[in-house]
Amino acid sequence: MQRYIARRALQSLLTIWVMTLIVFTLARISGNPLDVMLPLEAGPEEYARVSKHWGLDQPLHTQYFIFLSKAVRGDFGDSWKWHGESAMGLVAQRLPATLQLAGFALAISLVIALPIGVLAAVMKGNGWDTAAKIIALLGQSLPPFWLGIVLMWIFAVHLGWFPTSGRGGIQYMILPAITLGWFQVAVVMRLLRSSMLDVLDSEFVKLTRIKGLAEWKVIWKHCLRNASITPLTVFAIIAGGLMTGAVVTESVFSWPGTGQLVVDAVRARDFQVVQAVVIVFAGIFILTNLVVDILYAYLDPRIRYQ
Amino acid sequence: MKPRFVSLVPGLLMALALTLVTTPTPGLAQATKTDRLVFASAGFSESNRYWMVSRPDHLQYDPFLETLLEVDPKSGEYTPRLAEKWYPSSDYKEWTFILRKGIPFHFGFGQFTARDVVHSHSMMMRPEATATLAGFWRQVEEVKAVNDHQVVFRFKQPTTVMDYGASRAGDLRIVSKAQWDKEGIDGFDKRPAGTGSYRYAGRQAGLSISFERIDNHWRGEKPAFRQLEFRLVREESTRLAMLLSGEAHIADLPRELQKDALKRGMKIYSSSFPVDWMTIYLGGMYFMPGDSAFKADVPWTNKKVRQAMNMAVNRKELLNTVFAGKGTYTYVTGWLPQSEGWNPEWQRRFDGMYGYNPAKAKELLKEAGYGPGQLKMKILAFTEPGESEGPQVAEALGIYYKDVGIETEIEVLDWAKVREMFRKKTIGCCIWPNIISWRPSEESIRTFNYSKGPNHHYENEFIDKTYLAWAQAIKPEERQRHARAIADHLFEEFADIPLFWFANEVVANPKVVGDWVYPGLGAGRSTHFHLVKPPAK
Amino acid sequence: MATETIRTLPWYAPPRVAQAMGQVRRYPLVPLALLTFLLVIPALFASQVAPYDPLQGSLSKRLKPPAWQQGGTLEYPLGTDKLGRDMLSRIIYGARVSLMVSLVAIFVGGIIGTVLGMISGYFGGWVDALLMRLVDISLSLPTILLALVLVAAVGPSFGTVITILMIFLWARYARLVRGETLAIKERDFIARARVAGASHIRIMARYIFPNVVNSLVVLATLQVGYVILLESTLSFLGAGLPRPTPAWGLMIADGRELIVTAWWVSMFPGLAIMLTVLSLNLLGDWLRDHLDPKLRNV
Repeated sequence: MQRYIARRALQSLLTIWVMTLIVFTLARISGNPLDVMLPLEAGPEEYARVSKHWGLDQPLHTQYFIFLSKAVRGDFGDSWKWHGESAMGLVAQRLPATLQLAGFALAISLVIALPIGVLAAVMKGNGWDTAAKIIALLGQSLPPFWLGIVLMWIFAVHLGWFPTSGRGGIQYMILPAITLGWFQVAVVMRLLRSSMLDVLDSEFVKLTRIKGLAEWKVIWKHCLRNASITPLTVFAIIAGGLMTGAVVTESVFSWPGTGQLVVDAVRARDFQVVQAVVIVFAGIFILTNLVVDILYAYLDPRIRYQ
Repeated sequence: MKPRFVSLVPGLLMALALTLVTTPTPGLAQATKTDRLVFASAGFSESNRYWMVSRPDHLQYDPFLETLLEVDPKSGEYTPRLAEKWYPSSDYKEWTFILRKGIPFHFGFGQFTARDVVHSHSMMMRPEATATLAGFWRQVEEVKAVNDHQVVFRFKQPTTVMDYGASRAGDLRIVSKAQWDKEGIDGFDKRPAGTGSYRYAGRQAGLSISFERIDNHWRGEKPAFRQLEFRLVREESTRLAMLLSGEAHIADLPRELQKDALKRGMKIYSSSFPVDWMTIYLGGMYFMPGDSAFKADVPWTNKKVRQAMNMAVNRKELLNTVFAGKGTYTYVTGWLPQSEGWNPEWQRRFDGMYGYNPAKAKELLKEAGYGPGQLKMKILAFTEPGESEGPQVAEALGIYYKDVGIETEIEVLDWAKVREMFRKKTIGCCIWPNIISWRPSEESIRTFNYSKGPNHHYENEFIDKTYLAWAQAIKPEERQRHARAIADHLFEEFADIPLFWFANEVVANPKVVGDWVYPGLGAGRSTHFHLVKPPAK
Repeated sequence: MATETIRTLPWYAPPRVAQAMGQVRRYPLVPLALLTFLLVIPALFASQVAPYDPLQGSLSKRLKPPAWQQGGTLEYPLGTDKLGRDMLSRIIYGARVSLMVSLVAIFVGGIIGTVLGMISGYFGGWVDALLMRLVDISLSLPTILLALVLVAAVGPSFGTVITILMIFLWARYARLVRGETLAIKERDFIARARVAGASHIRIMARYIFPNVVNSLVVLATLQVGYVILLESTLSFLGAGLPRPTPAWGLMIADGRELIVTAWWVSMFPGLAIMLTVLSLNLLGDWLRDHLDPKLRNV
């Protein structure tokens, strides 16, 4: 078990390192940040001065080395657009907002998807199943930003039930979370339905039925638990997807999270912040995968020996 | 029971817990609507470090950080503010400012003196300074505090635009040296002390900046609203939604949405002066002798082609459709009636020379040797937050040009790319619409048409020579003469395709906002919030 | 296991018709019909079907409402956009654009993913480890961010969007194919082929690939819809197809600030996307249920 953990951990580290290389290169080829930082009045002397100040006049590999040596200590440099803030500081500042939104969106999607998915599996071929299918399909077919704007207009402007944007108490979160989580409802529901179907069919369940256990117990206590193993992997993927899906939702609802931060940073060619955000996101995703894999290996010993 | 399973229920609970734990404590309880004025802006670079922030984003300082000179909201003139009197030396290399007495800084940081001016300027000398006029401020050789209330700026070269730089249209914000000495940059970042009728009340990252009114402003300014908040809202439809739902009282809206707001009872507050101009710039106009960037095969190096390109554009229709009819015609790029060198003749001659006449345009093209379909060009378009019309204008242009037989291809880039191209003179292939904010015409020529300036649009020897004479001229009649010479030259030569001047228009709820006069020329465009008055009962 | 219910026929229904109806019911008619009208016909016959040139518009006719609204005319049945271009024509051409972009991206991404997945599963060892790490990296790259940065670097174009979509897609195919390859390669007939002297490439092409095709087709069908959505999201963020391409996503992005005043500019392309993706997903589901039930967990 130790060996498995060590091996996976090392692989994850390697993956993160490659990520930094890719992000660094991509950020650099996206263009000269000075063209965004400096006003139209700035002549060649200003360019030279500011370039030197930020170390942009160094050759690329030197810049990468400096960047990497600082990054391992968690220092991603100072932001070029948000003057006075450090890149990591900005990410840390905005991350809770995104995590909160993603968490709430996930909760909403689970709350909707769970009962419907289970019922759909149990009542296969029935009205529930069709309804579930339709909801799932609708969820996967609507462009999220369009949905967000429509929801905002209906519920925030015309009905006035919720505020249109910003962050505060729980009422600010509802519309963005629904927008964000909508897509995931479909995925979770499908998964739950199919893995429940598998389990419902299995010998184990037939045994519990023969034993005379109440049907609801069979479904909820035994099937659901066993059915959860597959969704576990998806949980990791969804979590990652939610975080990047947040980019669009945060734009529409002006939610001050990392999604909005990174869009602004890319537009302003603020490499420092772009690097910080992408690496943090990727890091979280890779870490979650690592944890899930280890949990999996713990639950299913066959995996350790692959 | 063996703990064999990780079920979804704990996952659910975790998600909910995460939600509750990260919910921030409820913010300031919303004051009654009329006590807290909320302005929904398209966004600005959030930082208190004014020496790194460009002029439009100085919107965030306008309420609480003041400047030496004021811009009169109605006349646009530079009037006394923190400085009572100011005058240049005879060679225009030294500018003296006599400062007002009895002005306290916020948060108890003492009285305003000349030392604060020296300190505020020194921020512009820092290596990371990227403010719009940082280059200008770094031309200062020395700033001397002659006594507590007199300060002298000595420049390397004579300058006639110091009043612009030191005014509310410029970016020299006066901050407290005492605060810097005591709290350093961290204290300044957290809570900068200024002298305005509003005081810094805090920021919420990514969301807003707030101000609160002070009593006993040195000039007796008493804003009607006790609290003021600028919200950063990127999406235009969200800003409209906020205005309509009452969450915001003033909003910066694009023209399309202004119509809708008006339909629902909102009112437009326009700046007293135009603040931006839109012109279609032509690449490759490098007419300095011996300029290797000049390529003779660029079609619009031929003046006839340039005139044809002007006459093919239906400005009236363009203005009415893309800009909802809100704008005035530009005759020479960068020139307003109050600019030095303005020539009333342009208005009379404009229609004949630049007016919409596709037949004449086709004729001119033929004369220049381009039959229908033989002239191809690329139009570059980009959008900036708050300026989404670039691509629309580009597409409209494509349609107009097709009508006269010019083939166009539109490429959408980002602004920085386009800027790099005209900075490095690699834009000979293309033309591009650009919206540029007002600056004194001398600055405009230096920045865009002077061959040794930072950007290269239309340049030649005549402009260079005349600009230098203008920049060094002291007597007003001489200055007018040079300015007029350059402007007339640009007009005659069809240097580019001038389109429109736009005023700054914000939309406000008339139930909350009654009266508001602001010049628009102030840094930040929407300025003078202390002049916002509630509606008369 | 689903049990087939035998429907009893009304006494007047001739047996053969009933049989035929039974057959027909087995095919997903509704999605196929929708798809044909929304996607296939417009994509193939756009120039014949569309009433106007999607790129030509006149500013005087801008923002006309759809025909059944006040101010609309039958001349422009679905209204016009910001520049006076006919919405219906743009949507028809948009079908072609969306379809082309997704098909190309899926095709190329699918091929790359399949080949790499087969190699990875077949050879195992360090090749497998390396490729799977690449897959991990690829899956952990935040697509949208990557798109923004890439477009800022090289500008929006067909090529850029397809590259981004491809990078996003190949990994899923690689994973799927690798899994299937692992399962198949242990089978007897593979061993027999090896003994008979077949080269690795021959084995992969003749024996493994045909068994993998089913899953690939299902996955591809399921993905077309998602790719179309992704393209529209990229356009929303300004990292999508270049103007003035009549792409559905781009049209929604263009109309988003008009959603109250000129709702049709965003609504119709949005509906087009929704219905298209819906039918593609229904089709994909049906395909999966009938071709390869193993993929229920995909």
